[in-house]
Amino acid sequence: MALLEIDQLSAFYGKAQALYDVSLQVEEGSIIGVIGANGAGKSTLLDSVMGLTKTQGDIRLESASISGCKPGEIVRRGVGYAPERFNLFPYMSVRDNLLVGAYTARDDIARNLDMIHTLFPRLEEREGQETSTQSGGERQMVSLGRALMTSPRLLLVDEPTIGLAPKVCLEIADVLRRLQAEFGLTVVITEQNANFALTLAEQVHVLETGRIVASGTPAELTDDPRLAEAYFGH
Amino acid sequence: MLQVLIQGLLLSGLYALIAVGFTLVFSVGRVLNLAYGAYLLIGGYAYFYFAQSLGLPKFAGVLLAGILGCVIGLVKYRLIVKPLKGDQVAIEIATLILAVVLQSAVILVFGDSSKILLPIIPGVERVAGAAIPYSNLFAAVASWVILLALWWFVKTTHTGRAMQAVSMDAKGAAISGVDADRINMITWAISGTLGAVAGVFFASYTQLYPGMWVAPLIIAVAVVIVGGIGSIIGTLIVAHIVGFLEVMTSAFIAPELRGVFTMILIIGILVLRPKGLFGREEI
Repeated sequence: MALLEIDQLSAFYGKAQALYDVSLQVEEGSIIGVIGANGAGKSTLLDSVMGLTKTQGDIRLESASISGCKPGEIVRRGVGYAPERFNLFPYMSVRDNLLVGAYTARDDIARNLDMIHTLFPRLEEREGQETSTQSGGERQMVSLGRALMTSPRLLLVDEPTIGLAPKVCLEIADVLRRLQAEFGLTVVITEQNANFALTLAEQVHVLETGRIVASGTPAELTDDPRLAEAYFGH
Repeated sequence: MLQVLIQGLLLSGLYALIAVGFTLVFSVGRVLNLAYGAYLLIGGYAYFYFAQSLGLPKFAGVLLAGILGCVIGLVKYRLIVKPLKGDQVAIEIATLILAVVLQSAVILVFGDSSKILLPIIPGVERVAGAAIPYSNLFAAVASWVILLALWWFVKTTHTGRAMQAVSMDAKGAAISGVDADRINMITWAISGTLGAVAGVFFASYTQLYPGMWVAPLIIAVAVVIVGGIGSIIGTLIVAHIVGFLEVMTSAFIAPELRGVFTMILIIGILVLRPKGLFGREEI
């Protein structure tokens, strides 16, 4: 069953159009990748799902339209978001950043904190530290943790590996797999690092200048010579 | 000297209360509310009307003044700030005009002559030769209690954390489920309440007159600019610098110059350290 359905979605920044008739479905319990170069519209796509951009077309969560909903309502319906630039609260502690994420899910705080500390033990060790003093990898963990504090069923992760050391990228990949396998989350990741997305996702969509130009399993996409050369380096 | 120290401490607590409502709105909504002084005006006159004209208990007078400030804050946000959608210049002009309109309304209802507020608590305590009116002591202690309560609220409650979140990163707050519009509304309500209650205390320090909204606005702007726009801690510290500066100027130079050094301090800080002494984008 599709948890998220995006139908003929166009997105705009003022008069500039950033997405053109994007349609895709995300099956419940799956990991979906959206790959594309810088400026392809990956962040815009996730921002649009969160109600942060002006859009046309329809976005449905469990068959119910969320188009036009405020971000708070979309969060309440079970969508968590870890954006590319983290958008953390720099002068608040790690713990307070996480607690802001619990704004709409106050009954689940203890359970979600347990899950986050299991996935990212470092966040428990450094819960009093201001995020402005943390490394990029730690901030990515806080960003994911904050999204998990919203008790999501669908987790949107924008470019989780950008600017991070390879070891940290592996840790993030491991966490995303565990979120799917152990906690039953559905995950959508966007990536410029196509190989990272291919190792994680069951279905991958290729976005170019605001349009989906190819979709398929990682094997299908890597077999396409044009895509293989453009995105996968072989 | 002891008198100066005590007066400085008492006045600084009140200045911190005056400034904190102003800094809250600026931090969370990035709005320079130039009608902020009008909360103090309305608060002072509301207390005068309820507690002195109608003879209600003084506590009820303070409470009703706070409620009126809260309502005016909410109405101001709904009818002026929200429709203008972040157009800073338009908001500043509109709020300034609103302050003048409220001043005219006060003149219409109460007349333009100044009025004396009876002390909230009558009497004077003498400590080592220094006279401390109970009313001023009450205003300072109440200010600090309110400030501590506000600090606790902002730091430990979900709504307070959401206010901090909106002040630091609006997108981050939105994707955490925080409704910035609701948080702004709450912030304007708190700001109005604090301003009106500060108005009762401020009027009991000075006197009640229709133009009394200007001086507190200057104090608020001074404290916020010198402390760093958006920082509560900076606001508290600088409220004491400004408070002591004014008291010392009055005592050792000339009472007429008490506000002048505050102005010079503002200009100096704007030139040398535009973000203020403690400025960073937080509350």
